[in-house]
Amino acid sequence: MGDAPLVMSGATKRFGAFTAVNSLSFTVPAGQIVGFLGPNGAGKSTSLRMALGVMEPDEGEVALFGVKPEIRALKRVGFLPEERGLYKKMTARDTITYFARLKGMSANDAKARADELLESTGLGKFRLSRISKLSKGMAQKVQILSTLAHRPDFLILDEPFSGLDPMNQQTLENLIRAEHERGATILFSTHVMEHAERLCDRIVMLARGRKVLDGTLEEAYATLGQGARVSVSAGFDLAAALASKGFSAHRAADKGPGEAWRVELPKGLGAQDALRAALEAGAPILGFQPEEARLRDVFVNLVGEAEAAALDVPTPAEEAA
Amino acid sequence: MRNIYLIFRRDFLGYVKAWGFWLSLAAVPLFLILGVGFGMFAATTSPVRYYAVVAPTPAISQAIEAEFQRRVSDAAEEAAELAKRMNIPLSEAEEQISEAAGGGRKYFEVPPPARTLEELRPWLAGERTVAGPAGERGLFAAFILSEDGSQLEYWSNDVNVDALQRTAEIAMRDMSRRDALTAAGLETDFLKQADNAAVKVPAFRLNNTHAGESGAEVTIADRAPAIVSGALAYFLWLMVFSIIQYLLMGTIEERSNKIFDTLLTSVKLPELLAGKLLAVFAVTSTMMLSWTAFAGIGSAVFAAQVPGMTDTISPFLAALTDPGLIIPALISFVLGYVLYGAIFMALGSLCDTIQEAQTLLSPMMILLMLPMFAIFIAFQDPGSPVIDIASWVPVFTPFLLILRIPHDPPMWEIIAQMVMMAAVTAVIVWLSTKVYRAGAVHGAGIGEIGGMIKSAMGIKPKAVKE
Repeated sequence: MGDAPLVMSGATKRFGAFTAVNSLSFTVPAGQIVGFLGPNGAGKSTSLRMALGVMEPDEGEVALFGVKPEIRALKRVGFLPEERGLYKKMTARDTITYFARLKGMSANDAKARADELLESTGLGKFRLSRISKLSKGMAQKVQILSTLAHRPDFLILDEPFSGLDPMNQQTLENLIRAEHERGATILFSTHVMEHAERLCDRIVMLARGRKVLDGTLEEAYATLGQGARVSVSAGFDLAAALASKGFSAHRAADKGPGEAWRVELPKGLGAQDALRAALEAGAPILGFQPEEARLRDVFVNLVGEAEAAALDVPTPAEEAA
Repeated sequence: MRNIYLIFRRDFLGYVKAWGFWLSLAAVPLFLILGVGFGMFAATTSPVRYYAVVAPTPAISQAIEAEFQRRVSDAAEEAAELAKRMNIPLSEAEEQISEAAGGGRKYFEVPPPARTLEELRPWLAGERTVAGPAGERGLFAAFILSEDGSQLEYWSNDVNVDALQRTAEIAMRDMSRRDALTAAGLETDFLKQADNAAVKVPAFRLNNTHAGESGAEVTIADRAPAIVSGALAYFLWLMVFSIIQYLLMGTIEERSNKIFDTLLTSVKLPELLAGKLLAVFAVTSTMMLSWTAFAGIGSAVFAAQVPGMTDTISPFLAALTDPGLIIPALISFVLGYVLYGAIFMALGSLCDTIQEAQTLLSPMMILLMLPMFAIFIAFQDPGSPVIDIASWVPVFTPFLLILRIPHDPPMWEIIAQMVMMAAVTAVIVWLSTKVYRAGAVHGAGIGEIGGMIKSAMGIKPKAVKE
């Protein structure tokens, strides 16, 4: 794999007056798992469809393995679309075999591979069942297996976790890791940040069709100022008490004992320094929690809470759900 | 080619694995066998029926009986001719003629058991019986001549079976003619003699290529190419007609399954369309060829039993294997199929639901009725100027070119129309591909078709939804 599996350079896609993707540039390096993050409507699916040549960019360029997306390059790609769909009257085995053959596998190899994948994911006994007879989760699994069957060099998964129950989400995470270990490059889009935090080497964040971040997880977290949550007895002005010690603090809406404050940590100082300063200032501390950086916070930090809310970014509680 | 084959194979197997395919395949032969069988069964099992004639003189009875006797005599003549032509014993020929006529005479006159309708009612209602050649039975019908002799009233409990009434009508007409001729002092077969003496009007053709000599009388061999081309044009029409549903419904299923993105990352759009068109072509061809094979086997069996039939069939086989007819016909057939198939497939790709597709069916049927009318006119009068002009209209060309070939249109016209058809088909396929992409891949609907065509032709569209 000489060329990067995917390079997008200034790709723009408009639908009438609406710009769905605006001058998007990023690279998916070989062998990495890249998360393509953003809320619903950010332009993720449109970008992926441009990457696959299903849609042509109005401006800019897309290179798949160094060439314009065309069938020969696409044979090395496995694609799972956001909107799942299979032929309902085909059996699970025939479905996987069919898509594997379309990607260039021989009939015998494709059939053997279908059986192998179905067995390894617990669907062996359903291999001759029609898709219409399978549960939604099973059918989704079959579609995912169809994506992997030809052992692609590059997997593009559009919202692969949506619609899966927690157990199947875990199965899919394991499959993605296994494909990564096999050597595949993986690009997957999601609006659920936790999956990206667990799986990705790199992330590309989109908001309103524009790229707002492109880097490793560490680089993403570095964009976020660190902080700590401190709860004190009601009526104590923590902001005033810490101002002379070089910390700024704001009231937070956290529930719990007393009044919650968020203390921002200046560069070079840690949460323990903030705790020490508060104690020295005589603060009646009821609770203390160093902030753990999360991708959602990175996103909110980059696009603003109001825009994030307007764009339907899930809250941590929604993400967990 | 491999991708086209894989798409074709999946779609074809998808269609033929469905129950509907096998039901359609079996339906035509089954209904044909049932229809013929039922007809024969009904004819051979129809009962012997009695009728009575109430009239002051036996003239009416004699006239009706004479009509029945005339039929017997005609059947005997027919049997003798058949025995001579087929070189079979007369008894066998009589048996065949009798079977074809439904197994012998079914109506017999019996003396009227009463003289008025009221008195006859119990016999007509089946409450009372009379003795006759088939034993004791009720009266099926009674003829009662009116007092002034102007009407022969036909009374029966079952007026739907009107064979006896029609026989009586013919008998009365012949009786009237015979009386009129006799009154005029003419022989009773005067009209028959006059018919036989009429000047004959045989048809001849200047360039009778089939007979091999100029000026020979037109035979079935001359008419066979026109009949074969008509059948081919109708076959194409029937095929185009039958693919509408497959192409509309098949595309809707895939559009609702959201499967196109996956397919288009594996095959090119033209490959996808070609595979699908081929699959539908194969499905409809399988059905129609099966029906044709059934008809062919039936004809062969029939021809084997009827000497001379082979001579009748061979000109049609010769026409079917004539390169001058079959090559342009096949080209027209393929281009016509692709032209219409691409249009239907593109329209199907714009529908989200079966209801939406059904609203498209009516305009499509109307569109397809136009070529049907053109075929009908062209078959009746292939040299009509209307047909000359219509054959240059691309939606008619595939059908009309096939029909015109046996009538020796100028070679330049054949070539020009084939080139035009190929060009128009290429443009339609190109436009359909654009519409299909917009519909199947980008979810555009029927309302956006105008914008899509403008877009395909390089005119900037207003918007196409993702």
